[in-house]
Amino acid sequence: MVLLDPTTIIDILLIGLSGTLICLAVHFIPVGGAPAAMAQATGIGTGTVELAAGSGLVGLITSSYMYAYEPSADVYLVMAAGAMGAAIMLASTMLAGGLIYAYGVAVPFASAQVKKDPITGERQDIYVSKGTQGQGIPTICFVSGVVGAALGGAGGGLIYFVLMGYYTPLITTHAAAVAGVFTMGVFYVNSVIPSYGVGGTIEGVHDPKFKRVVPKDVFTSAIVSMLCGIIAIMIAGGMT
Amino acid sequence: MSDLKEIPPNTLAMFGISGGLLGIYLSPLFPTAGALGAICAVIWSAEAVRRVAKYGLGTGVPSIGQIAMGMGIIAAMFGLAIVKSMPLAGPILALVTASIIGFIIGWFAQNVIKMKIPVMIRCMTEIAAGGALIIIGFSAAVAGNFDFMGSIIPKVFDNGVMLAVFWVGAMAMLHPFNACLGPDERQKRLLYLAGSTGAITMAIMGIAATMTLGASGAATLILGIILWLIFYKKFWDEVYNDAASVIGTGLIPKTEA
Repeated sequence: MVLLDPTTIIDILLIGLSGTLICLAVHFIPVGGAPAAMAQATGIGTGTVELAAGSGLVGLITSSYMYAYEPSADVYLVMAAGAMGAAIMLASTMLAGGLIYAYGVAVPFASAQVKKDPITGERQDIYVSKGTQGQGIPTICFVSGVVGAALGGAGGGLIYFVLMGYYTPLITTHAAAVAGVFTMGVFYVNSVIPSYGVGGTIEGVHDPKFKRVVPKDVFTSAIVSMLCGIIAIMIAGGMT
Repeated sequence: MSDLKEIPPNTLAMFGISGGLLGIYLSPLFPTAGALGAICAVIWSAEAVRRVAKYGLGTGVPSIGQIAMGMGIIAAMFGLAIVKSMPLAGPILALVTASIIGFIIGWFAQNVIKMKIPVMIRCMTEIAAGGALIIIGFSAAVAGNFDFMGSIIPKVFDNGVMLAVFWVGAMAMLHPFNACLGPDERQKRLLYLAGSTGAITMAIMGIAATMTLGASGAATLILGIILWLIFYKKFWDEVYNDAASVIGTGLIPKTEA
């Protein structure tokens, strides 16, 4: 049985790891959902899946570009390219969102989950408007978001790299499309699972919810991603 | 509302699975059938989305459409690729694989993430299976058949039509409940809207199929537009019908769907 080969098992574990990275990434991103869109909660005003997938897919594009144009690129370079692309994408989203919150909606950026911003040390609670869960994207959320997007992009790059290793010898020129689409499928599954865990909104690494939900979400994602890894390798078996 | 007669989930599941598979198996003779089969699956899975999203997912309805397509595409690629000697088993294997993945994710969502939604496991299984049928159906309509290596990879994956299948298919599945949710939400209205989103997806696939298949693709495009007009008119009538009580009395219905 080809699945019991040590390299295959390592590859399945790597796909499991990358799915776990994507799942972990979602917890770092300050997702505010609909309340944040009305500046009534801290974070970016859209859903978890949209943010994780949006940044992660840009990471997938940058990592596949690295893979395509630098044939000798090793896995770290591909992962770093993915991390950069995703982090730049999310940072620009947060910058544009922040400009709108500051100059369009005119709200002070404040987190309702911590009393002082862990990075700048600024008081938060006195700036939180009554009846809201904070507003805008404070420094800690921005930094947490960039770190999260980088993790997600690196995870996407890792799956792509592993899958390309399997599909390129079998279907050569078609491999990029197949590996890319499969990565996208794994990406969506792994960005929705944690969004159910966090219940739609999370501020980032400093949110008390983070510690509470990460273990069970990461466990679920690891199992599901390894299942996806087994499926991906069996697909390669069907291509010969 | 509950006093109105609704189509039971099992009937819709039978309709989605049998219609979807029939369409896919007829697609080598008549590519448009693949898209018609996918519309059956869209109607079924939109209703499954309705049943699970009614409980409030906390993340918005779009998330469940996206996970459905994520599971569906993995299962569809697996099912179609793994059967080398007997390609006819592909769509059924994809359906079974999608159901298994959906069951596992539903089980974890219910028991590990603890979402406390009683229909979670069943609905996750249904939408994953529906997602796989939608992807295979629309892909077959563009590729002309469901041979993974010979047709679907060169005609759907390489030119990027797969992304349209993925995204527009997800929209077709998640939009009906996302648009209809709220007070006075009714199954009949949602089913007509699901038919209309499925049909407009079919029209978009028709544009792609005109590129890959030529004249038979144009048939998909024209039939898709005709079906869209029919279903949209039906949905429009239902909206007017349901709005009559609100317009007549000026009272907003109190019960949440």
